[in-house]
Amino acid sequence: MNPWELYKKYFNAWEGATATYLEHWLKSPLVLEPAGAWLSATMKLKAQADQATASFWGNIGLPTKRDQERALHKLNQLESKLLDLEEKLADLPPSTGSR
Amino acid sequence: MNPLLRFMSRPPPAVGQTPADVVHRENKWRLLRYRPRPSGVSHPTPLLLVPSLINRHYVLDLMPGKSLAEWLVAQGFDVFIIDWGTPEDEDRFVTFDDVCDRTLGRALRVACRLAGSERAHVLGYCLGGTLAAIYSAARPERVASLLALAAPVGFHDDGMLSAWTRSKSFDVGAVVAATGNVPWQLMQSAFHMLRPTLTLSKAVSVLDRAWDDEFMNGFLALETWGNDNVSFPGECYRRYIEELWRNDALLAGTFTLSGTPVHLEDIRCPVLAVTFEHDNIVPWKSAAALLSRVSSEVKQHIHLPGGHVGAVISKKAAATLWPQLAEFWRAAS
Repeated sequence: MNPWELYKKYFNAWEGATATYLEHWLKSPLVLEPAGAWLSATMKLKAQADQATASFWGNIGLPTKRDQERALHKLNQLESKLLDLEEKLADLPPSTGSR
Repeated sequence: MNPLLRFMSRPPPAVGQTPADVVHRENKWRLLRYRPRPSGVSHPTPLLLVPSLINRHYVLDLMPGKSLAEWLVAQGFDVFIIDWGTPEDEDRFVTFDDVCDRTLGRALRVACRLAGSERAHVLGYCLGGTLAAIYSAARPERVASLLALAAPVGFHDDGMLSAWTRSKSFDVGAVVAATGNVPWQLMQSAFHMLRPTLTLSKAVSVLDRAWDDEFMNGFLALETWGNDNVSFPGECYRRYIEELWRNDALLAGTFTLSGTPVHLEDIRCPVLAVTFEHDNIVPWKSAAALLSRVSSEVKQHIHLPGGHVGAVISKKAAATLWPQLAEFWRAAS
């Protein structure tokens, strides 16, 4: 067996065993709970920082990023509702006469 | 070393090459219709392909020879696909109902209208299959058949993703409040955790087969797709995690779509569930659970070896899986 084939054989054996071992540990509450707590704490900190920034801009009468996002989202919703109306109009039976 | 040098100087692979036209565009999503084969469409009922919300649609049209869409067009099907697009900051408010009811519903209606058909066959892949199953249960009128390809329906399993989303300290509300759209990097890191040694395995495979152009083209195309992810609209993600993952609401029968109760038992069209033995993203039992709930007279289960992506787009899939999908649709038309 050439050295590369030998390397692959040992690598595959190592990889399979390591993956099984890591899978077991990574889904353990001993790992997941602290990871979840760390992620949640980091996210709460970021949300608080964003809130403080937004309050600053809001207090001097400027729209916040969230205000702009809401406005754009409303425009997207309006577009979607117009398309709903277009669909309903297209589904109406053709008029059979005129006034 | 020559093959490795060639590998490093290789241009990025061309993906999503099957010719298609944009037939509808709304907010960030688009509906594409693949151009029919020169001899025309031979199946009157169109197909709507619904990819996962967090991946690019071109996984189903990866590259010539490894494209389900290309193959279906060649078989005479009229094929539509949803491209979910890239959510922007304002899309943090997009809800699960917006995605599953409004978008999927519109895509289905547009596909039917353009194809001149009352109904369409729906193929949902991964989360796209979950969306398709929910839609088919709540709004069955236009669904000719449902094909759920590695689509999770039961979310309480012994996999890592299920354990992670159900861990008590994971506060999904805090993540959504802080990030708006949930960054794809966060989700991709969770997928990497499913098999942390995978990157090393890939490196060894590349060293081993760098001389094989066909392998390398497929490998690079798949890597291009695998690293081209999109963020998840925040409000949609919150409900996805809280109701589907944490409460297993689909199997519990407590899920609603725009206020309409979603009971999988209400699905009566022909259903085919395709599952993969070594799928570590969607454990096969959580995908096969669909068949035990639907009321369809025609329900089939194809269970194959292989993983979540490779088993769908490989050469082997083209020879074995795809013809079975086409046969299912022919019978369901």
